[in-house]
Amino acid sequence: MRRRDAYHWRIFATGLCFTLFGVGGLVLGLCWFPVLRLLPGSAQTHRLRVLKTLRVALNLFVRVMRGVGVLSFRFEGVERLGRPGQVIVANHPSLIDVVFLIAFVPDACCVVKQALWRNPFTRGPVTAAGYVSNTPTDVMIQSASEALHARQSVIIFPEGTRTTPGQSLQFHRGAATIAIRAAAVVTPVFISCRPTTLSKGRPWYRIPYKRARFTLRVGDDIELTPFREASPAPIAARALNKYLLEIFEAELAAERRAETMETAADASAGGRGTRRIDDADQRSNI
Amino acid sequence: MTLTRDQIYEAIRSALVELFEIDAERITPEARLAEDLEIDSIDAVDLMDRLKRFTGKKIGAEDFRSVRTVGDLVVAVQRLVGG
Repeated sequence: MRRRDAYHWRIFATGLCFTLFGVGGLVLGLCWFPVLRLLPGSAQTHRLRVLKTLRVALNLFVRVMRGVGVLSFRFEGVERLGRPGQVIVANHPSLIDVVFLIAFVPDACCVVKQALWRNPFTRGPVTAAGYVSNTPTDVMIQSASEALHARQSVIIFPEGTRTTPGQSLQFHRGAATIAIRAAAVVTPVFISCRPTTLSKGRPWYRIPYKRARFTLRVGDDIELTPFREASPAPIAARALNKYLLEIFEAELAAERRAETMETAADASAGGRGTRRIDDADQRSNI
Repeated sequence: MTLTRDQIYEAIRSALVELFEIDAERITPEARLAEDLEIDSIDAVDLMDRLKRFTGKKIGAEDFRSVRTVGDLVVAVQRLVGG
């Protein structure tokens, strides 16, 4: 595939963005949040200040990423996110999915992996924001349920980790369990990233042949009453989980078809005599 | 509240049947929760909730670290209610 969209610049700019993210995380965690803690107000007020900071900072960050040309993005239906008691479930193709969601969803609690509490760049922010670790225990279920009862929305990736490109989708039941217990409504967000970038197991400098385009599309709300009325909570959670998996699989199948066509079009437009990049950079045929 | 071992076993059995639709005949004291009955950590949360209501005691995940089988669970619950 022919490299386009200022390929070498994008490698440099990607490195720059990682650095910016790291420095930003450190500054917020070590300087800004400790200062915020000195301000008066209840625990709730403090948390809201932290969440506001993160939203503004990451909103700026995604605009910088777009500005320097490492990606483009479109977020459809974002105004329907961030409602009280809303569980937002999203698929997880790339490292920065949660960055987009935090950047655009006000006052949301995120269920994120435990490793972020050990990472020096993210530890400060995830601690101050009161995010919940995705370790599947009663603590996760209870903390997320409490956030929903406190009228926050909760962002959760039922895959638990980034999608391995080419493998079938697997959903952990934690998200459905939390939703059945405590959500007012469940709203899916379908995230697509074309070409694949920052996916699991790929180093940051292996950037795609052209600029990655992120599309985040907010799907229709899912009513929970029918699930809750049909059966006891654990069975209802299984049914909801299955339903979520089905709608995401349908969405992703359509996405894969579109991507295959786009990749084929790019390959034929690449022409003869152009440089080709490693196989690993091309999404396997699925 | 004092509960006999049989009462606790019966409560656990009915919880497993009602909450997870497990066939009653698969539930024995020797049945392993994770391997035989496919109760995962998320299911355990719902099971704990139910047992909490049954015993009226607060039950935390840490009380069940060493629980492997239905029989282990009965013993752990009995210890909690001081039966």
